[in-house]
Amino acid sequence: MEAPADTTWKGFTLAERDRRWAAVRKHASAAGFDCILVPLCVDGRNQHLSLEQARGMRSDGRYLTLLENSAVILPTDGRKPIVISDRAGNDWIPEPRPVNGSWGTAMAQALAESGMERARIGVTGLERGKMVHGRAYAGVVNHTSYAEMLRRMPHAKFEDDHDVVAFARYVKSDEEIGCLRRGAEIAAAGIEEMGRVARPGVTDSHLYTRVMRRMLELGSGYYPLALYTGPMDQIRLPRFEDPPLGRVLQPNYRIHNETDALWGGLIAQEQQGFLLGPVPDAWQRVVDVQRDLFHTGLEVLKPGIVFGEFVDAVNGFGEKRGMKTLTLMHGRGYGDDGPLLTPQDRGEKTRDVVVHEGNVFIWKPIAMSADEKIQYSWGGCIVITKNGAEQLVKRTPSLISLQ
Amino acid sequence: MAYKPPSRAGATVYVWADYSIAERDRRWKAVQDAGKKAGFDCIFVPLGDGVDARYLTQLRCSSVIMPTDGRAPIIVADRSSKNTWAPEPWQTSREWSEPMAEALLECGMERARVGVAGLKGGKVTHITSIDGVVNHGAFSAVLKRLPNAKFEDATDVVGLVRYIKSDEEIVAMRKATAIAESGIDELKKIARPGVDAAQLYADVMACMMEQGNEYFPFALAIEGRRYADPPLGVRLVKDSFIRGEIISVWGTQIAEEDQGFLLGTIPESWRPVADRQREVYDAGLKLLKPGTPCAEVIAFGKSVEKKSGLASKIFLAGRGAGDDGPVIDGSTPAEKLKGLTIEKNTLWLWRPSVKSADEKVQLGWGGTVLVTDRGAERLSKRAHELISVA
Repeated sequence: MEAPADTTWKGFTLAERDRRWAAVRKHASAAGFDCILVPLCVDGRNQHLSLEQARGMRSDGRYLTLLENSAVILPTDGRKPIVISDRAGNDWIPEPRPVNGSWGTAMAQALAESGMERARIGVTGLERGKMVHGRAYAGVVNHTSYAEMLRRMPHAKFEDDHDVVAFARYVKSDEEIGCLRRGAEIAAAGIEEMGRVARPGVTDSHLYTRVMRRMLELGSGYYPLALYTGPMDQIRLPRFEDPPLGRVLQPNYRIHNETDALWGGLIAQEQQGFLLGPVPDAWQRVVDVQRDLFHTGLEVLKPGIVFGEFVDAVNGFGEKRGMKTLTLMHGRGYGDDGPLLTPQDRGEKTRDVVVHEGNVFIWKPIAMSADEKIQYSWGGCIVITKNGAEQLVKRTPSLISLQ
Repeated sequence: MAYKPPSRAGATVYVWADYSIAERDRRWKAVQDAGKKAGFDCIFVPLGDGVDARYLTQLRCSSVIMPTDGRAPIIVADRSSKNTWAPEPWQTSREWSEPMAEALLECGMERARVGVAGLKGGKVTHITSIDGVVNHGAFSAVLKRLPNAKFEDATDVVGLVRYIKSDEEIVAMRKATAIAESGIDELKKIARPGVDAAQLYADVMACMMEQGNEYFPFALAIEGRRYADPPLGVRLVKDSFIRGEIISVWGTQIAEEDQGFLLGTIPESWRPVADRQREVYDAGLKLLKPGTPCAEVIAFGKSVEKKSGLASKIFLAGRGAGDDGPVIDGSTPAEKLKGLTIEKNTLWLWRPSVKSADEKVQLGWGGTVLVTDRGAERLSKRAHELISVA
C-alpha cells in the first residue's frame, strides 16, 4: 500500500459532486419534491447512540458538500444548491454561506431565496430512514433551528424525504468504491497488526493502541476501533471504543472486533475473530458453518434480487447443518448506511429493496450452535458487481488461533 | 412505570466512569439547586445533549429527568448500560421519545415548568452550537405527550455548574494535560525532514492512547494548513513549521496544549515575535484570577493588539467536558459575556498568538490553565518556547 505522504488520491472530483447532486435531484423529482433540504443536524459527539450512528448524524450534508457541517437547499429543477456552513469552503463548495447567528434563519432565508415559500420540501434525517439513519429512530435533525425555520416558512410543506438522498448514497460510483477499497485494505492491515500483538499478558489498551496506530499511519480518518475481549465461552463480551483500562488478555480469551477505517470520509469495515489458545472442535464446527454461510451469501447477492429473498436464504441456512444462522449486514458509506439487517433489526422494512450494481455492504453473518452458546461472526466489505458480490479485500473467513 | 423496556439491545459499551459517588451527588445537588433557583420544576437533558448527560451520569449515552425538589433523577440509558452512578437506569434500545416522555410523566411534570439543557448555545457550554444540540424528532414527540408542560431553555443551569470544577475534575485535567505534553514530547522525537506526516500523527496519537487517553482527534497545522486527521500527501521537509494542537482526554476532561516546532534553526527575525507572544501570554495570565470580569479580558485583548508593528490576538476558552466556554477572542462582543466573571476552579485554554509586521511569521503558544485563589496556575510543565528540531 502506498504511504499516505505519497498517495496518488487527490480527493473527489467535481464530476463526482455533480453526479451526486444529479442523482439526488432525480430521486427528489420522482418523489414530487420541489427541493431537498438537508437541515442542521446534531453532532455525533452529542447524539452518540453508536459509532456508526454518530458518524451518520451529519452524513447527508457531508455526502453533498464534503463539509463536516452544513445545511443544503437543493432545488430539483437543476439550479445549484445553496450551502450554509460554519466551516471554511473546499473545492466543491468554495464559498459556503455563513450562518450569521441562527441556522434556522439562514435556512429559511435560503429557502425563500430559492422560491420555496409554498413548495413541497423533502427533509433528510427527519425520521428514521430505510436506507440511512436506520439506527436513529428519532432522526438526526437539530430541534431549535428546525423549529425556527418552520416558524419562518408557514406556507411551505415539509416532509421526510422518504430516503431520496439515501437511495442516491446507496449506489456507489467508481470513485467511492475506490475509497472504500482503500479503507478496507487499511482495516485489514489493522487486523493483521492485531494478530501480531494479541497474546496472553498483553494489556487490552496496548492492543487497542497498536491497531489504531497501524491504521492511522496508513492514513485512516477518525473512527474508533470497537474491541471486545473476554473468556472464550462468554457469549456477550464487553465492548470498548477507547483504549480499555485495567484489562489484560488471558489464555483462552476470545477477541472480537469491528475494525473500521476511513478514506475519503467513507467508512470501510473488516472483522476477524482471534482465540488465544486452540480452537475447540465445537467452535470449529460453528466457524465452518459461518464460513460456508459467508460464501453462500456472496453467491445469493447479485443485482436484481430483493433483500427479503436474501435474508430468508441466510436465516434458513443453519437449519440444514443443525445450527442457527442470522443475517448481519448493512450498507457502507458516510455513516449509518442501510439497509440495516441485524439480530435487533431483521429488515422487515427493506424486504422489497432491490440490490444494485455499485452497492457496498459490510457482510458479517452470524452462525451459532443449536443451544446458542457458541456464536460467531466474521466479515468484511463486499461490492456488488454485474457478476455478483465480491470482497473488497480478499480474506478467508476463520477464527484465528494465537498460541 | 408505564414504560416497558425492550427485550433486546446492542452490546454494552464501557466508558471511563471513575468519579466518586460524592462527585455525583455534588453535581446533582448543584444542578438541582440552580434549577430550583431559576424556577424550574425539573431539569431535562434530552436525547442529543450527550455531553451534559454524561456529566450527570457518566454513561456513554443517556437522558436525564432531574426534579429540582431533591428527588433522585430518572435516567434513561441504552445497550443495557449502568454504572455506580446509575445502577438501575430505565433501559431503552433505539427508542428515546417514549421513555423520556414517560419519565417526565412519572415525575409528575404534566403541567410543570421544565428546564431543557442543550436547547440553545449557552454562556459557558455548547458554545459552538448556537442552536443547541437537542434532537428534533425525540423532543417534538415529548412536547406532544406533555402539551400542558412549559419547556424552556436551561442550558446555562447545567453549564454554570460545569463551569466550576471540583477537585476530582481538576485532578483529571492535570492528568489529561500531562498526557498531552507527552504527546508533544513524542512529536519532538519523531518530527524530522522526510517523515510522513501521517506517521507523525499516528505516533503522537498512539503515545497518548498507550496512557489510556480517550481516542479524540487532535490537530496538526503544517505550513499553515490544519489537519484533524492523519495528513495525506504531506511529507515533512527542512524548515517545515508545525503547530500541534495536542488534545488529550482523561476523566472526560479535555486538555489542549499548543506547541510550535520548526524543523530547522529558528531565524533571528522570529525572536521579536516569540518574545512578544510570551509577553502577552504572561500579562494575560495575570488577569486570570477570581472575580475578573470576562469583559476585562476582551479589553485586555484590544489593548495588546498592536505594538512595534506586531499584531497580537488573544484566545481564551473555557475547558471541561466539551464545547466549553466562554470563548474570548478579538471578535467576542462584550455584551455576550455581561455578568460573567472568571472564578476559582475554572479551567481554560490560554493561547495568544502574534503575527509579524509582514505577516510571514505567526506564532501561538499555550495550554491549560487553572484559576486558583492565588491566580492562574499553568497545568502544563514544559518551557514556554518555540521548539527547534535542527
